[in-house]
Amino acid sequence: MCLAIPGKIILIKEDKAEADFMGARKEVNISLIDLKLKQGDYVLIHAGFVIQKLSTKDAKNSLDAHNKIVIQ
Amino acid sequence: MPTIKLLFNKTLSLKITKLKIVLKIRKFEIWKIKNMSDYKNIINNINTLAKKIIKPVNLMEVCGTHTQAISRYGIRQLMPANINLITGPGCPVCVTDQSDIDNLVSLALAGIPIATYGDTIKVPGDFGSLEDAQRKGAKIFAIYSVEEALELKKQHPDLVFFGLGFETTAPMTAYAIQNGLTVYSAHKLFLPAMTHLLKNGLTNIDGFINPGHVSVIVGTEAYNKIQAPQVITGFEAEDVLVGIYLLLKQIHEKRQDVENEYTRAVTENGNAKAYNLIFEVFESGDGLWRGLGMIPNSGLKISIKYQAQDAKVKYQNILNKIKHTYKKNAACKCGHIIQGALKPQQCPMFNTVCTPDKPFGPCMVSSEGACNIEYNN
Amino acid sequence: MNNLIKIDEGGGGQASADLIKEIRDILNIKNKWTNCNDDAAIFNTGKEKIVFTTDAYIVDPIFFPGGDVGKIAMSGTINDLSVMGAKPIGISLSIVIEDGFPKDDLKKIMQSINNVSREAQVPIVTGDTKVTDKGKLDKIVITTSGVGLAQNIISNNGAQPGDFIISSGDLGEHTIALLSKRFNYQTKIKSDSHAFNFELAQVGKYLKACKDPTRGGLAANIIEIADKSKVKIILDEKTLPYKKETTAISNLLGLDVFSLASEGRFIAAVSPKNINKTLTLLKKFNKEARIIGHAESGKGVFLKTSLNTLRPIKMPKGKLIPRIC
Repeated sequence: MCLAIPGKIILIKEDKAEADFMGARKEVNISLIDLKLKQGDYVLIHAGFVIQKLSTKDAKNSLDAHNKIVIQ
Repeated sequence: MPTIKLLFNKTLSLKITKLKIVLKIRKFEIWKIKNMSDYKNIINNINTLAKKIIKPVNLMEVCGTHTQAISRYGIRQLMPANINLITGPGCPVCVTDQSDIDNLVSLALAGIPIATYGDTIKVPGDFGSLEDAQRKGAKIFAIYSVEEALELKKQHPDLVFFGLGFETTAPMTAYAIQNGLTVYSAHKLFLPAMTHLLKNGLTNIDGFINPGHVSVIVGTEAYNKIQAPQVITGFEAEDVLVGIYLLLKQIHEKRQDVENEYTRAVTENGNAKAYNLIFEVFESGDGLWRGLGMIPNSGLKISIKYQAQDAKVKYQNILNKIKHTYKKNAACKCGHIIQGALKPQQCPMFNTVCTPDKPFGPCMVSSEGACNIEYNN
Repeated sequence: MNNLIKIDEGGGGQASADLIKEIRDILNIKNKWTNCNDDAAIFNTGKEKIVFTTDAYIVDPIFFPGGDVGKIAMSGTINDLSVMGAKPIGISLSIVIEDGFPKDDLKKIMQSINNVSREAQVPIVTGDTKVTDKGKLDKIVITTSGVGLAQNIISNNGAQPGDFIISSGDLGEHTIALLSKRFNYQTKIKSDSHAFNFELAQVGKYLKACKDPTRGGLAANIIEIADKSKVKIILDEKTLPYKKETTAISNLLGLDVFSLASEGRFIAAVSPKNINKTLTLLKKFNKEARIIGHAESGKGVFLKTSLNTLRPIKMPKGKLIPRIC
């Protein structure tokens, strides 16, 4: 269930927004999210609606150094 | 590749016995997955833990997109022999009872235009599928979003939307009902089914790979009442591997925690606005699940406030006349397969009379159904 | 067998293959024509081979980013002759139009066909035009048949273990462009529709098996090459010929990227000794031309995933239906 993919907000118009998916653009509905969205935010979209805002760092797949996996 | 962030989960549990306050701090490892050597690293860790655990372990994933991800990346091929990844009833099309399919097909054949999400139109019932009805002249629309249904309603005022899906998808239907759409609700809540599976399921479940996007809506706290090791997991290969690793670690350490691997999208409280919207429009009640039977508090029924848009009320004259014989259901083992009690190959119809081109049941129709995925891999 | 034709049977997947077999079982007179179960039939005159093919084009919408039904009708048939190794020499054009269809639209479509004709240097030499009553047809259906001449036929069963599998460019863009109106998204991706006769002629002698991945996408066509050549083909996830935008839209709508059609690309098997010159020549036309996999002994088609596991690729189901769950 729940196929949801990340997109980037390009434009906000009331309860709708235009989201970018690697170059493709689609209008999405933002009425199911309480957070204030702004241009450049990365969001998760399911069935045409934004369901969550993603942290930009995670969404852009940051390669900053972090600890490695702990070996048991 | 996604970076999984550090999550501090402070659980304050007040132990009144002997006036002791126990502060539990669970620190979760930070993972940085760069390249193949790191996959090998996680897989080595999984192998090490599996050897220590020794006995067979059943991990159930309960989300069709996880079923797909596991197949897509060939993750089963990488699992040690004693670790079984079982597919649970996370495919909403698969768990829709045949009576609902029969009802919608009957409405369609009676001339009512029907809109629904993709795969649903191919599920066969006693009177055929929605796609078969379309062939006989019924108006059937396979849509991507309820917004399309609202648009279609302008040309087809008596359009009925066949709403199915879990906590991730019910808010969209709730929104559409508030905007005037007539809906036949087959929506369900997933969490009650997880408890049901633990108590009454046909398989022994040692841990759950929790559904990533249901969790985006409900948050992490909601799972605390489910008595099993759980990891809320994302959908990339590394997410699933890390999720499996964390589950095995819990099992080995005899813990039952709710851990969040999908921190980039899932927060403790989830998306409260979307979640609350469900209950502004729906009420929970008994839910009828194909194969699992009746699960209390798992069905979403449109509340009296929105009765005028409840297709079950509006068209009760047609719906009450339908005789459900469940002919199609008789030999189909989908109900067992969606609980992980049987593998697709154990159904006598699998790949013989039942194929994706000529499906007998929803497990073969839906691209998230266990039989469809098994057939294609 | 079912007694009503289903939409899936026109989709290029297994159901289509089954229906076509049923039809072929009835139409069993061939005389001296050979290769009748393929993209194009062959008539060997002794001096050279006549190659003959046909195709009907029903598309919705008829105008889409990068082309229209006329462009694909003309390019498609030219391409079907080219993948056989034939030089197209003439095309016939049959049009059936619904009463009420705008004349300007018809002229635009004819102009598109003429543009392809001029660029590919292949003439329309004969045709037929019919008009039906309103409601008896959806706007327009175009059928093109084509004749070509070849000395050497490129097969679709000549792949051998050790061969490389190549694609002449990025795939799936025709379907992505076509679906943009239906599913309401804006994309820079335009249909890849174009006649590749000149492109293919440059490398024809190096191609041991060749198909254009139209209906059924990469999946259906690579499976056909593998089955007919009796080899196992492994595609590499790291070199899959799809733009990120194509994959993103497929993911958004829940479509299988391997089933998306292209109307101006070809896939082929090339031996290691010819691979470099083949790619050098093809990259002059499209810099995305590349190796996408290789052939081994065995059977089946597999994708080597980023985890180094092998995942089977199966025939696509039929009509593309989006999923949300």
